[in-house]
Amino acid sequence: MIILSKLTDIFEYLAKRHRLLPWLLAYVLLLPLPFVLAGLFNEYLIDLVNRICLFILLAVGLNIVKGFCGQVTVGHIGLYAIGAVTSAVLSLEPGGFGGALGFGWPVWLAIPTAVLVTAFAGLIIGLPSVRLQGAYLALATLGLGESVRIFIAVTPALGSSTGLMMIPAPSVGSFTLDSFTSYYYIVMTAALFGIYFSFSILRSATGRAFQAIREDTTAAAVNGINVIKYKLLAFVFSAVYAGLAGALFAHMPPGYLHHNNFTVIEMVTLLLMVVLGGIGNVWGGVIGAIVVAIAYDQTKDLVFYFMDRPIVIQPLVFGLSMVLLVMFMPRGIGGWIEDFQRNRRFIRRSEERLNGSTRNT
Amino acid sequence: MKLKNKLLTGALIASVGFGAAITYADDIRVGITMRMVSENGQAYGQMMMDEIKGINEAGGINGHMIKATLMNDECKSDKGVANANKLVFQEKVHLLIGSSCSSVTLPIVDVTAKAGVPQLVPHSTNSKITQKGSEWVFRVPVSGRYYGGVNAKYVGENIGTKIAYICAADAASVGDCANMEKQMKARFGVEPAYRADVQEKEVDFRAHMQKIKSMNVDGILVAALAETMARALVQSYEAGIGEDVRRIGSSSASNAPVPKIAGDAVKGVFFAAAYAAADQRPIAKLFNEMVKQRYDIHAPDHDFSQAYDLVRIMEIALKNTALTGSLADDRTAIRDAIANVKGYEGLASGPISFCAAATPQCRDGNRTAVLIGYTKGGENFETEVLARVTMEEDFGLE
Amino acid sequence: MALLETLNLSKSFGGLQAIDNVSLRVDENSVHGLIGPNGSGKSTFFNLLTGVYQPDIGSHISFNNIDITNKPAHYIASQGLARTFQLLRLYGELSVLENVLVGYHPHTKYGPLAPLIMGAEVRRQDKLVKEEMMDLLEFIGLAEHAEIPAAELSGGQRRLLALGRAIAMKPKMLLLDEPGAGLSPVNVDNLMATILTLKERYNLTIVVVEHILKVVMATCDTISVLDHGQKISEGSPTFVKNDPAVVEAYLGREMADEDIRAAMNS
Repeated sequence: MIILSKLTDIFEYLAKRHRLLPWLLAYVLLLPLPFVLAGLFNEYLIDLVNRICLFILLAVGLNIVKGFCGQVTVGHIGLYAIGAVTSAVLSLEPGGFGGALGFGWPVWLAIPTAVLVTAFAGLIIGLPSVRLQGAYLALATLGLGESVRIFIAVTPALGSSTGLMMIPAPSVGSFTLDSFTSYYYIVMTAALFGIYFSFSILRSATGRAFQAIREDTTAAAVNGINVIKYKLLAFVFSAVYAGLAGALFAHMPPGYLHHNNFTVIEMVTLLLMVVLGGIGNVWGGVIGAIVVAIAYDQTKDLVFYFMDRPIVIQPLVFGLSMVLLVMFMPRGIGGWIEDFQRNRRFIRRSEERLNGSTRNT
Repeated sequence: MKLKNKLLTGALIASVGFGAAITYADDIRVGITMRMVSENGQAYGQMMMDEIKGINEAGGINGHMIKATLMNDECKSDKGVANANKLVFQEKVHLLIGSSCSSVTLPIVDVTAKAGVPQLVPHSTNSKITQKGSEWVFRVPVSGRYYGGVNAKYVGENIGTKIAYICAADAASVGDCANMEKQMKARFGVEPAYRADVQEKEVDFRAHMQKIKSMNVDGILVAALAETMARALVQSYEAGIGEDVRRIGSSSASNAPVPKIAGDAVKGVFFAAAYAAADQRPIAKLFNEMVKQRYDIHAPDHDFSQAYDLVRIMEIALKNTALTGSLADDRTAIRDAIANVKGYEGLASGPISFCAAATPQCRDGNRTAVLIGYTKGGENFETEVLARVTMEEDFGLE
Repeated sequence: MALLETLNLSKSFGGLQAIDNVSLRVDENSVHGLIGPNGSGKSTFFNLLTGVYQPDIGSHISFNNIDITNKPAHYIASQGLARTFQLLRLYGELSVLENVLVGYHPHTKYGPLAPLIMGAEVRRQDKLVKEEMMDLLEFIGLAEHAEIPAAELSGGQRRLLALGRAIAMKPKMLLLDEPGAGLSPVNVDNLMATILTLKERYNLTIVVVEHILKVVMATCDTISVLDHGQKISEGSPTFVKNDPAVVEAYLGREMADEDIRAAMNS
């Protein structure tokens, strides 16, 4: 609690100096992280952090469409797959070892192209939202997302069941960014920009339009918001995040993609991150991604022996802790932080008013 | 407030505990990542752990204990790669064992190649695993490139060349179908008489079976995962295709659910594998007995035998390694010791040999497959060995 | 001149004729009342005007000399037609300030993608708009609560905010759907006073649906009466008050004229 309030104080103080100052500071503080982790612990944690960065991109992106705009989508993982496979196929050598389709593009060209392709796919996944809501929309997007995976699974040119392999890592000049540490700088930068953009959207007229649609679609339309346009825009924004995360996942060493990385289970994990973190709260998505990824990593291989039979207790521990968290923190961790900040602001304002009135008398 | 503070403190302590893997300088650290989503999958991993425990109880390897870490990759490549990274960089293993799924082993080969960690593959058959040119990978099971040839040779010479294909969309079956088709064309110059591509978990084969019935084929290749294959076999009899048409199974035909679910329909089905439970050698009989007692498994399939063989090969190699205490040097020494394993005769269908070159010829250890036929279905199914076929080293390579 | 004009406006839901051939003119700068018994189609009429419902074929609506028949709601709103809802429909989780900022949406000067870069121009615009909206909140007396979520306001404050959100759209015409519902008589009088002040300050034309006839009679220049989806009467408050058709619609035939007049004046 005390740490949190100090942190928000510092953040607000810096933001008052210059709006980009907290971001710059965060970036500078994050720069030495791989060396700290490798020095204090081990290199594996850098890999874990890299994966967390991808989850952050995914969760923050999903939060835009689900949290800000209130559109229930279960197709996000399909967009992730599209971003990953597009970037992989574009950058693979034609007639390469894996036997899949390849165009031999430079990685730095393949990634933005994949993001654009995914953005367009996001538009298509968003189309049902024009007519459907709630569970019906969830079903429609689930179908679209899952059909992407099945399409990959049955198309040999996209890897089908053997997967896409030896997808090249990006390089700068003659230096290939294929180590945990060098890749960290790519995904960390991407994640930080992702969070920043998400805040920019949330605090602008665009973000308010999304939220108005979530709160009351009819009222939003009557307030002059083009509901269809903004719903689709939310889907496109979140698709850009998913596409970027997918492309970065594809090129992350060892550069391998398989359609079973994009199943409904992965989608549920992603939803869990957003719900646990706090729907509609940017930090919620970030914290949810971090907490779920770490909890998963730590509990995954806990085995409990019952009558000499091994029982994997991860689903139990994981599921139970999630149920408890959701029960006692229905608005997620982000909601808790939001309440905390609001209370602090309120207390500060009352104090100011009190001080002001005593000075006047 | 107090509770929250306590929770925060707890979280802090937990985060400090991160990755502080307790390692003893003297231990030989071995990491295992396997697909442990089914009862059998659990047992494969458990058997390796039990065998390693046995080695330790018998005094270890030249006085060193083996510290094994078993992880589940759920047959998903992203999880498998994360496991491999954790084992290599956090647990700092000397040797990595994994995985049981080709789609997981394929990316892990790149991880171990880059980090310089010897890798023993327990039962992935995809032929590309050893074609990546890694110096660090060794495959215990029979490579997929041999199986196709074994099946085709036996089918063409003993059954006929007019074959119908039913191919499910999972990784193993797609490969099995393609290999068989390629070899039938290469050896006998025939195309499939009929070919149906079905979903991974298809339930209705009746339309295909009716068509196949009308074509008077010599045999039907059913390439699918166990449950799907069992359904297809049952439906082939329901469609009225007689016993004279031989049913050929893909590599998953060895899995116990096939005879259990298919029942009598499994009779006469044959397939190529790396181990036959009907093997009459004493070592095989002992092994069958041991698996039955320990894991309550009737007639172990080749995934069990390969897991067992792998531990024995590891034991031999480790015994021939002079450990120095430098992780990188020890990893290299273990790699070289595995490469020196020649003519190991264990449970497998044939002798397993490795050599130093980073080529599939050197690293696909077992070149011999047995052809196994089911003689009885149901819970207490029975099998017989039809033939034993050894392929040339560079068979199936382009 | 007429700011809003409907011609043969009809709407049926299945077999129910909710609005039946209503033609109506609202003059610029007037306060126009719309009354009628429950279920007479007043809210539906508003929904048709603002594009929430699409009217039946043959209907025409023009606003400010622009044909807005069958146009989407957001387009109609951007032409300067704002409304409030009987059930308010505030954005409960958004703060008071954000609610009025959403109202300002049609006048946003940057595109939906511009905030990504958060350039100097976007920030300058946002700052100006925020100041303008704080002025508006100051005027309606909610400035103090600007950062509180709308759902946490009291009933009266919520009605004010609904009004503020509509005003933030800088409309030419404001449609008020039962602005006084659920308020005490004193508060209703205050609210009507606020509405009239806002009308002067922002140069508005107002159409108001209200159940409290006293309020309507006191503030409106013209009153139209709907019953079963049809316009049964129209004119000055005095005229409507004495129109037998209106009396009948409200109270049935049997009552004596004197009683009705007494009821309406009360």
